[in-house]
Amino acid sequence: MTLNSHFGVICLYKLIYIKRLNGGIMRKLSKLILALSFVVSVTSSAFAVTVASWGGAYTDSQKQGYGDPTAAALGIDINWVDYSGGLSEIKAQKEAGAITWDIIDVFAFDTINGCDEGLFVKFDFDKDFPAAPDGTPASEDFFAPMPSECAVGNILYSWNYAFDTRAFGGKEPKTIKDFFDTKKFPGKRAIYKSALTNLEIALAADGVNMGKGGELIYKRLEEEGGVERAMDKIKELCANDNCVFWSAGAQPPELLVAGEVVMATGWNGRFFNAEVGEGAPIKQVWHGQGLDYEYFALVAGGPDEANAKKALAMMTNTEMLAGSAKYIAYAPYRLSSLDIIKANEPWYKDGKTEMMPQMPTSPQNTKKYFLVDPFFWADNGTEIGEKWEAMKAGL
Amino acid sequence: MSSETKQILTTDGIPLELSLKKAERKNKIKAFLLVTPLLLFLFITYVFPIGEMFTRSVDDKMVTNMLPKTFKAMEKWDGKELPPEEVFAGFYFDFKVLVENQTQGKLGQRLNKEKNGFNSIVKKLMRQIKRNKIDETVSIKEQIMKVHKRWRTVEYWQAIKRTAPPYTMAKYLKGMDMYFAPDGSIAQVDEDRRIHRILWLRTLEIALFVTIFCFLMGYPIAHLLATLPMKYSNLLMICVLLPFWTSLLVRTASWMILLQQQGLVNDFIVMIGLVADDNRPTMMYNKVGTYVAMTQILLPFMVLPLYSVMKTISPSLMRAGKSLGGTPFVAFWKIYFPLTIPGIGAGCLLVFILAIGYYITPALVGGASGTLISNQIAYHMKATLDWSFASAMGLMLLSGVLVIYWIYNKLVGVDNIKLG
Repeated sequence: MTLNSHFGVICLYKLIYIKRLNGGIMRKLSKLILALSFVVSVTSSAFAVTVASWGGAYTDSQKQGYGDPTAAALGIDINWVDYSGGLSEIKAQKEAGAITWDIIDVFAFDTINGCDEGLFVKFDFDKDFPAAPDGTPASEDFFAPMPSECAVGNILYSWNYAFDTRAFGGKEPKTIKDFFDTKKFPGKRAIYKSALTNLEIALAADGVNMGKGGELIYKRLEEEGGVERAMDKIKELCANDNCVFWSAGAQPPELLVAGEVVMATGWNGRFFNAEVGEGAPIKQVWHGQGLDYEYFALVAGGPDEANAKKALAMMTNTEMLAGSAKYIAYAPYRLSSLDIIKANEPWYKDGKTEMMPQMPTSPQNTKKYFLVDPFFWADNGTEIGEKWEAMKAGL
Repeated sequence: MSSETKQILTTDGIPLELSLKKAERKNKIKAFLLVTPLLLFLFITYVFPIGEMFTRSVDDKMVTNMLPKTFKAMEKWDGKELPPEEVFAGFYFDFKVLVENQTQGKLGQRLNKEKNGFNSIVKKLMRQIKRNKIDETVSIKEQIMKVHKRWRTVEYWQAIKRTAPPYTMAKYLKGMDMYFAPDGSIAQVDEDRRIHRILWLRTLEIALFVTIFCFLMGYPIAHLLATLPMKYSNLLMICVLLPFWTSLLVRTASWMILLQQQGLVNDFIVMIGLVADDNRPTMMYNKVGTYVAMTQILLPFMVLPLYSVMKTISPSLMRAGKSLGGTPFVAFWKIYFPLTIPGIGAGCLLVFILAIGYYITPALVGGASGTLISNQIAYHMKATLDWSFASAMGLMLLSGVLVIYWIYNKLVGVDNIKLG
């Protein structure tokens, strides 16, 4: 593909300029450029694996944590490109017959869809991925089973909430019920703009027993009237203009620091950056958190599938995954990676912050939690999305 | 040429008319060749994708090809109660082929768009078949119904039946919160799911008001720009253009900082005692925020066409109007304003069309009302991969714009648009 585009550019160049000028020097020059562009494109694309990820601090953590070490160890180039999520781009690349990405960083929901659409390569986990240092096979070393055969776990992040420590004078919200209790903790709330995870915490706050990993929550949601019950709880919280709906991950800490809201749901990595990195007056609450996953998927028929597979196996091994937690407060998907962090505290790049208490999967943070269920959302996402928007329109 | 006049010949004896035509034709071909690249470009980047979008929005061949036996058996089924054994059997054998080819995932995806909840029951059935759990010698209906309770629910079979025709307008109906009922009539979706009509109206409302606000603010600015002496107007022009050179997100975020309840504007009006501290008005995360941010972002698109038209209006016209006895207002209304209509038309159309497709800014500053129809299109493009529905809504949006263009043409006339 790179070859073709270079060729196209040069041909165009030749047509436009050479025909008009027709000078000897120009012709020689154009030949030189043409030859050069071939050389450059061949060398740059031969051993390079392209990974599409979300950009920002997250991609930085991936690059520094395991991308660069893997590239150095295998002697291949790993290029990181930014994308904004979803499968539309890779689907378009495939339909056009010009796939340019080898690996994508995707949500659980997308790995299921992408696998069904035949966009990704299926794995045999124990064969394709190395075992933990103590010999535990890969499939047992993962924190949770993969949602599809096309996904390999990368990190776990949390949908938790944080509050403004200046807001309640001494009193501190501690549970997910407190988030919905506007009498005890008056003030505005910020919640995610769509239904994902909001329905879960609404039911939990309404007194539904979460069960192990939130199983019972999803059971209630699938039952008749379950979704409506959750939405009523949200309506109650958000009546009288009491809610701000955030759409970008940077918003929740920003809204808290500005004093615009007193509590906000958000991604723990963002809260961590504000709290530890910038010393913002906020504090995270882990009770009732939703654990969500981020995966890598290998694109079927990508430009360099063989090397990409090698690189992927290395990037998701125990040491490499632990490496990314040095730069961001997301938990490595492998349980054995946590041992490395524990043994080498303080693990954070500043050399003084302990990372274990910041990991969404560490025991003190998983007393009450639910695992975001990608199957539930893959099944019901569209319909609930419509109901959610209709509910919001009536607020 | 009338036949009575004698033909004029060129020096080599060919009628002048013919030879002129020949020369003309050459020129015409040359001219056409000159614009061919542009035409080709327009075709490739405009006509072709829109055609592609249309086919995508009505094409539903995939399921038709995947489940031939099912649909054959369904022809006799009235769609009111659970289908008979033949339909189940037909579906089972169709589905088995898909499982063998590993394409059942696509079917699950597609059917899930028709009726939520299909994805997982298709997977469940697939696992049963892979484990050889279905005995083909006894009733297949009974066995499939045991796999999951949804396979016993008639709505799911009705949904399969709806996907039978290879071409369908169902996506367009869905965009209007309607669907084909089992008896073939058009019905409304449940009340708690009627969202698209709300979003269409909201999108129109926001685009309309932003256009009006842009006009109200842009007109005086453009007038100033056109009439001030050069050294001031240049500075003003830079002020108008400056937002152009700033990132969209930066501009949106700045408005958030300014207008939020604990923001600078609110702090200021509390400080000067206009409102009480505990009674700060909400100007962000609602429609007010959307209007303010979008108006500022789109303002240059109104000012520039207006400015370029106003620049061509001679100041002596206004003076003439006044010297003929008109008050400044009458002179403005009777002379100046009508001359600026081409610019107003261009500016308003430009702003309106840009506003109608906007969604990032409203999503960030609009709060509960921040979802517009374009968000929905993006959602189906990216998350659900329902490209046919996204295409259908995209075309509906496009035809909406064309209708407005048509109305504009009727009222004002398209020839009257002037960008400069």
